[in-house]
Amino acid sequence: MSSFVLEASGLVKSFGQTHALAGVDLRVRTGESLAIMGASGSGKTTLLHCLAGIVAPDTGTVAFQSGAGRVEVTALGERERSRLRREAFGFVFQQGLLIPELTAVENVALALMLNGMPRARAEEYGGGWLAALGLAGMEDRRIGQLSGGQAQRVAIARAQVTGAAVVFADEPTGALDSATSAEVMRALLDSTTGQGRTLVVVTHDADVAGRCSRIVDMRDGRIVGERVPAGASAEAGA
Amino acid sequence: MIGRVAWLLARPGTGGLAPLALPATAFAIVTALLLTVLGGAQSFWSWTDDMGVTYQALAVVALVLLVVPLSSLGGAAARLSARRRDDRLATLRLLGATPATVSALAVLESVVLAVVGAVAGVVLYFLLVPLIALIPFRGEPLGLDGVLLGLPALVGVVGGVALLAAASAVLGLRQVVISPLGVRTRQDAPKLHWLRIVVGLAVIAVAFGMMAVLQVAGSAMVILAMLGAAFGGTIAVLNLIGPWVIRLVARSQARRAKTPQRLLAARAVLESPKAAWRQVSGVAMTSFMAVFAGTGIALLGSFGEAADTESMLLFADIRTGILITVVGSFLMVACSVGVNQAASILDRADLSRSLGMLGMPTATMEAARRRSVMSPLRITAIGSAVTAAVVMLPLTGITIIVAPLSLAVIAAVLAAGIGVVWLGLVATKPMLERSASV
Ligand SMILES: Nc1ncnc2c1ncn2[C@@H]1O[C@H](COP(=O)(O)OP(=O)(O)OP(=O)(O)O)[C@@H](O)[C@H]1O
Ligand SMILES: [Mg+2]
Repeated sequence: MSSFVLEASGLVKSFGQTHALAGVDLRVRTGESLAIMGASGSGKTTLLHCLAGIVAPDTGTVAFQSGAGRVEVTALGERERSRLRREAFGFVFQQGLLIPELTAVENVALALMLNGMPRARAEEYGGGWLAALGLAGMEDRRIGQLSGGQAQRVAIARAQVTGAAVVFADEPTGALDSATSAEVMRALLDSTTGQGRTLVVVTHDADVAGRCSRIVDMRDGRIVGERVPAGASAEAGA
Repeated sequence: MIGRVAWLLARPGTGGLAPLALPATAFAIVTALLLTVLGGAQSFWSWTDDMGVTYQALAVVALVLLVVPLSSLGGAAARLSARRRDDRLATLRLLGATPATVSALAVLESVVLAVVGAVAGVVLYFLLVPLIALIPFRGEPLGLDGVLLGLPALVGVVGGVALLAAASAVLGLRQVVISPLGVRTRQDAPKLHWLRIVVGLAVIAVAFGMMAVLQVAGSAMVILAMLGAAFGGTIAVLNLIGPWVIRLVARSQARRAKTPQRLLAARAVLESPKAAWRQVSGVAMTSFMAVFAGTGIALLGSFGEAADTESMLLFADIRTGILITVVGSFLMVACSVGVNQAASILDRADLSRSLGMLGMPTATMEAARRRSVMSPLRITAIGSAVTAAVVMLPLTGITIIVAPLSLAVIAAVLAAGIGVVWLGLVATKPMLERSASV
């Protein structure tokens, strides 16, 4: 049996004349890694933002199921959605979008401090995640002193450290070379599905998508297909 | 080719018109204030009697006091207009434009914005002239003839503002030209040398000594020259030590910070203590003036009874002059805070948006931003007031400095200065909210 951590139905979102989402139904299973693929402008980012409660769809609903119960994301106000994102979700963007004046460990700890954890403990946790992602000894570096791949791993640590149930990543490897990209993807998977958490990743990169347990394809604001990557079926069933 | 590329760069980007309008507005305000001050000073130069010389000397002091906030506002405007294109220019450079083309473009655009702003500033000045003409000095209004500047002065100021913009653009963009990736790769936070504090203390000691021997100096010109040197020196010292002290305090705040906003604020200040200082250094000037004004007014009041009519007029005029200088300086401080904040909000729009997505409340970002300005401001205002009091001590004595009237004036001016900066922050809050909204 598999439970669904996110259930979206009938999502429609337009920007003026552009129908970014034209009726999307999608269920995300707990603990799976789901890749969203599709041409540029097909609505991938918009879908991700709706699922994560960043933007509200024009019509349709998104529900989030956690240990604490079921939450209708689309029924929440901006303030509550903001809190949900802070506490239950993690995000990794194409460019790390880390805070440049903070050190690596402070960037990670900040996510915990926003949820009220005292700083010392937050930095301890943050340091632990950085070490787990192969960044031991770089805690006190500022973001400008890290390589693109290292910065992206700091962003992954930031997305994980709160124990986020779902991590959303929008082209997390888009700015990296293929070797670094493979490393970052491995780190992302290890720290999410490897820990029983869920990963939703938007990507153009077939290699990245190929490491996930399921792929959905989008075109013109709709989901037009679903596949299981070769070699992933064994993992997906686990 | 240059024309086409310039047009591409000049088109409003995602930030809307604000990145173009802001520096132009700031240049307009700089120009208008500069012309206003010059106009007022000019009318003093039409007097040729003995008292006239005293007025001219005082006008020079006021001008010197106003130059600091004026140049910091001018610098802020120029930096804003230069920075706006940094990223796109770096891209151009990556695409293979020659360094010469990049420099030419940067300078061209800054100068165009500056000239447009400066011309608007001239118009603003003409609107202000009737008001300035009403300000009474020596018992009568200054009059239109006195304060109206001639064409050479107008052209000179517009040219000067354009030059300032060009120089700032050249300086700001040298990095881009040297390294195409220069803008994107952020270096380590700069360090400031402890030697600064030693030099600073030495200069303050000299200023203190000069003020102590002031009464026996003899001629009025010598006294004024020494006053000017002591003030100028102290202000220069504040500029030297200010960033250093701000950095020291911010470092300990960063270590001790318990909440996200405190940590963010302290780190933002540490990122560039110099920039933090520049933003509030106008207030250093006004706190400096507050002590000067407070003790001066108390001192003049204590002479009150004995003085003849001419001296009474002079005292009243000095009060007017102090008031004008303080108000003008506040205006410029408020503008530079506004411009600096607008620039940094535009710079960080992507980051703010992403932090909003992560679920950081806008209130937290706003609190961090406020703190990153207000905390250096507190240090600066108090530090400068204390320094000024120390330098004034030999001249006025402790009783004058702590007289109720002095303290009241000092407190009022400091409060107004802090309030003005706060207004600059509040005025830019909607911009932050817009850029952080997801
Ligand atoms: N804020 C917005 N305002 C106006 N139009 C938008 C906005 N966001 C997205 N769109 C439009 O909606 C459509 C879908 O955009 P979306 O960003 O979801 O595409 P995407 O699949 O993520 O593309 P890419 O692969 O290029 O990132 C596009 O046509 C886009 O122009
Ligand atoms: Mg996208």
